[in-house]
Amino acid sequence: MSDITIGSRHLSPGAKAALGVFARYGTIIGLLAMILAFSLLSPRAFPTVSNFTNVLNQASLAMIIAGGLTLAVTVGELDLSIGFAASLHGILVTGLIVHDKLPIPLAIVIVVALGAVIGLINGFIVTKMRVNSVIATLGVGTIITGCAFAYSAGVPIVSGVPEAFLQLSLGRWLFGIPNNIVIMALVLGGLWVLVERTDIGQQIQAVGGNAAAARLAGINVDRIKTLGFVISGMCAALTGILLASRLGSGTTSAADSYLLTAFAAVFLGSATLRDGEFHILGTLVGALIIAFGFNGLNIFGAPTFSQYIFQGAILIVAVGLSSLGRVLAES
Amino acid sequence: MGTPQAPPFVVVRNVTKSFGGAQALKGVSLDIVPGEVHGLVGANGAGKSTLIRILAGLVYPDGGTVAIDGKSTVIDTPHHATELGMNFIHQELAFVPGMTVLQNIMLGIPKRTRFGLVDWKAMAREVAPIAERVGITAPLGASVKGLSTAENWLINICRALVRKARLIVMDEPTASLSASESEKLFAIVRDLSASGVAVLYVSHRLDEILDLCHRVTVFRDGESVKELAGETLTRPALVEAIVGGHPPSGAPVRHAGSNGKVVLSVDGIARPPRVRGVSFDLHEGEVLGLGGLVGAGRTELVRLIYGADRADGGRITLDGKPFAPRSPRAAVRAGFGLVPEERRTEGLVLPKSIAFNVGLANLDKLVVSPLLRLISPRARANLALEAIRALAIKAQGIETPVGRLSGGNQQKVVIGRWLQRAPRVLILDEPTRGVDVGARAEIHRLIRDLAATGQAILVVSSEPDELPDVCDRVLVMAEGRIVKELSGPAVTRGAIVAASYAEGPNPPEERP
Repeated sequence: MSDITIGSRHLSPGAKAALGVFARYGTIIGLLAMILAFSLLSPRAFPTVSNFTNVLNQASLAMIIAGGLTLAVTVGELDLSIGFAASLHGILVTGLIVHDKLPIPLAIVIVVALGAVIGLINGFIVTKMRVNSVIATLGVGTIITGCAFAYSAGVPIVSGVPEAFLQLSLGRWLFGIPNNIVIMALVLGGLWVLVERTDIGQQIQAVGGNAAAARLAGINVDRIKTLGFVISGMCAALTGILLASRLGSGTTSAADSYLLTAFAAVFLGSATLRDGEFHILGTLVGALIIAFGFNGLNIFGAPTFSQYIFQGAILIVAVGLSSLGRVLAES
Repeated sequence: MGTPQAPPFVVVRNVTKSFGGAQALKGVSLDIVPGEVHGLVGANGAGKSTLIRILAGLVYPDGGTVAIDGKSTVIDTPHHATELGMNFIHQELAFVPGMTVLQNIMLGIPKRTRFGLVDWKAMAREVAPIAERVGITAPLGASVKGLSTAENWLINICRALVRKARLIVMDEPTASLSASESEKLFAIVRDLSASGVAVLYVSHRLDEILDLCHRVTVFRDGESVKELAGETLTRPALVEAIVGGHPPSGAPVRHAGSNGKVVLSVDGIARPPRVRGVSFDLHEGEVLGLGGLVGAGRTELVRLIYGADRADGGRITLDGKPFAPRSPRAAVRAGFGLVPEERRTEGLVLPKSIAFNVGLANLDKLVVSPLLRLISPRARANLALEAIRALAIKAQGIETPVGRLSGGNQQKVVIGRWLQRAPRVLILDEPTRGVDVGARAEIHRLIRDLAATGQAILVVSSEPDELPDVCDRVLVMAEGRIVKELSGPAVTRGAIVAASYAEGPNPPEERP
């Protein structure tokens, strides 16, 4: 097809080109416009190093979980279990440290491994039992929530959390940069290398792009899809651990809301630079838009409910931009 | 039955249509009178489906006219075609699976009570006699799920009659019916004809055509070349018209391929009903063709060898060693390469670049640090450049998304993926489908050049012209079996087509 229709209108080539630019660079333009607007409206509070560091620090946890989700959606599946899983991981890591007196590093390793196992389970259900990933991960996520309640009896673990664990998230061990930002940079950097510069990454992209073609080219599609879920699960674990460290407690549904943030970031990201394809750099931009948006709303004293409206709206806009990019790329 | 004196219902005159560069219809004419069973035959790609799609309002002709009841008409939507009294029954029957027989029949034309609710009783009253007439045995209230293909055909015919069809177009109706089911369908077709409904009957099975049709139009290379009726309607006349008198399009160079050593040996491989026990050897430096009609089981056969589907029985040996094709991955590692039938859906990741798509089958060669499994973008670029050079792929650069390339260049990318691997057996399924003439000749030359280097190649093609151009030897398949082996000078378009139609394909065994 050489021409596309939006609604019932045929578009002229010029309009199509303009729309193409908007679909590719719209998110970046939006981000810069937002920063500019907030800077002009609030020149004292907003455009400062400390505020930007703060925003980035706050956003790091969302960026890590969204980075993992990027892998799951790149292989062509959705992972709805990540928010619930991150909540469980948060309680579990605090529980292991406070109740079981495990050394902090060991507790972290166990919890990240559990994240990988959850990913394996998701991958098994989707690839071997052929359950749609939305249903599979929603089911697994709900079971996880049940496990979290069972483990904690619904009571947050607030006392006895050692200072050393709090420092994981609150510390600034490297040149005074908040640890969250350093960890986020390492994770996203690692994921970027994995996806863009390794043979596994090429397979990941191929499976998401066209699973049938990938299979006939000699790629083990089921294994690659499972890997996507495993990485998504491990990143959820990391976010859960950092959140528990930041809050100084393990709470049953503390990280649930990261699910929506992560999806919004990932879909905004897919509308960035590439035509509707998911990629790590895009996810980073998507997460920044959401973070600065929240920050701006906070600075201007917008009521809490407006954050929900902002986040819901941005998710819809993100998916809209993403599919617009794909339609344009195919025409 | 209709007489030639009756005014025709549909008149098609000099209709042309091209897709991209390919001229699918170069000018076809045909008329259909009420009550006749009109046969439409021709080799694959002769233009039958394109004409049907025009009548169905799915594509518009570039030139020529279509007149309905003497009035020149542009059929602009499928809905419009239905309103004009034309109904289409395709091989892949489309039903809403969760609905009942009655719901499917009345889909889109519900009757309402005066309260605006759907009036099931009135609809059942209307449908029941028609259902009985065409012999639907399932209750109208039963779900369509689990009904046989034969029953589905009956439901579709019923659906057409409820819509007051004056013409029913049937595309390969018996392809998936058993012998007795086919007989039942023939009886209904005759009954329709007697009641004044015209049937356009498209089939590769000449026995049926001869048995059923009053008149037959033969398409060849996008033209209506012959109309046969009455005494002129004979099997030899049909085959002659389908094949045409013209000689094969290139001077084939035949290599003594079969003198080479056996690379691949296939023994009794089967997956009924599409593949029913096939055995052959493929030699070093040989181009072996698999010919036959669409649905003869060729693609299914190569998918079994490649591990894309599991075989129920049979043995494969590669270079003398047994090979069990568990997955395409295992096949690639053992030394197979496949260029699949549908390059857009099975061959390429369309939004990705040429470099990405060529690299996919060569990732093991691109890894520079085994520990971290990093690939070298430069090695990948070199690989893509080599493919572009070797195959003369026309593209702006290696980063061009393959979705933006022409069909011929897309196909070259899929082939280029395997060149660097030099697999022991290269399988090409419809290597030049939807490819322009120039690229087609280049791909043919490439196949011959590869064979000259000792590469063993298996080519599946539905175009009888293609195999004589490239193959040393051709196996013709029908109904899942090899029915003829042709080699050397015996590989001609005529021989392949004749073998494809030979004996009249055996009706499949009665299935439960």
